[in-house]
Amino acid sequence: MSCEEYWNDLAGAEPAEGFDGHLAACPGCAARWEAGRPVAQGLRLLAAEMKHVSAPPRLEVRLLRAYRERYGRSAEGGGVHRWWAAAAAVLLVAGALWMGMRPPAPPLVAVSSSPAAVAGAGAEEDDAAFVPLPNAAGSLQDEDVDLVRVELPRSAVTALGMPAGDDSDAESVEAEVLVGPDGMARAVRFLN
Amino acid sequence: MREMKPPETDHDLFERLRAGQEQAFVALYQRRQPSLYRFALQMSGSAHVAEDVTQEVFLALLRGECGYDPERGSLVAYLFGIARKLLLRQFERRRADAPMETADEGRLAEPADASDPLQELTARERIEALRRAVTSLPRRYREVVVLCDLEEVDYAEAAVALGCPIGTVRSRLHRARMLLAGKLREERRGGAAIPAWKAARCEI
Repeated sequence: MSCEEYWNDLAGAEPAEGFDGHLAACPGCAARWEAGRPVAQGLRLLAAEMKHVSAPPRLEVRLLRAYRERYGRSAEGGGVHRWWAAAAAVLLVAGALWMGMRPPAPPLVAVSSSPAAVAGAGAEEDDAAFVPLPNAAGSLQDEDVDLVRVELPRSAVTALGMPAGDDSDAESVEAEVLVGPDGMARAVRFLN
Repeated sequence: MREMKPPETDHDLFERLRAGQEQAFVALYQRRQPSLYRFALQMSGSAHVAEDVTQEVFLALLRGECGYDPERGSLVAYLFGIARKLLLRQFERRRADAPMETADEGRLAEPADASDPLQELTARERIEALRRAVTSLPRRYREVVVLCDLEEVDYAEAAVALGCPIGTVRSRLHRARMLLAGKLREERRGGAAIPAWKAARCEI
């Protein structure tokens, strides 16, 4: 086997189960492979560092709008008015906390807006979509939005007229809210 | 006790989204956008470009313009392929992709210095040095490093995305690592990030 055949056909990031015939027989390729190993390890570090990076939440909102324009609102998107009503109630709470205008007691809602939470949102969450709020239509095209995660007691969600779900063990419901630079909510997504 | 359903394949989600099921589109977007966005970000160095490219990839999917054929490759490979084409258009427009591809593709090269170029650096310094080095790679090497090493796309899918044989993916990947090692050594020495290479061949 030539070295070129080896590098073109067989070489991987790691030798197969610690042994590779060509590497064992060719000191030149073995040295070359060994020289690349620190870089490969460094690249794994870089990959891990980048794992939390993802597209900004506004892109999902924009694409959903495009999807709905092309396919129309699906049956899954039914009951929108009820969701908007619930979302508006959630946003009042989330918006107030976001802007620091309301004291935290009583602890009705927990908010998380850490960079990791924001950047990672959308990567591993459920299938629910952001529902743009009526007064936010068109405002997400170009602006930067932040994502705020809120947690509501399940009883509060029921009181808002939303289905409480069938997981009766959970005491709270999570939602994500897109907040514009003016502190006003743009869209909401309920996670469970 | 509920039974856990296996996750839907990309192809299943694609079929459902084309049938107008919004949740399938959302699920596919959420599954695939992070790696597509990072690919575009690492290739372009621009968050703005990365966002535009990611958007255009999914719009192409919505419009049925991705040319996806499950017989010829996975959906994710096609999505990366679209992202790459969009990036190439950007590069052509900006003429920002400095050509460094003077090395003979058919020949093997080995670094003049086999020491660990990342030795004595902290983890943070390693990451930053590598990030700079990856960004400065010629495009054909950068794309294969980003796809295979950073996004862990397998060689077969990378070959579909790049439109080249799998052997080319492998050889470019190894050459790219050598280039990176050279760049890092140069940077460590405080010189210009231009690797010193000598061609070498051996036959067994």
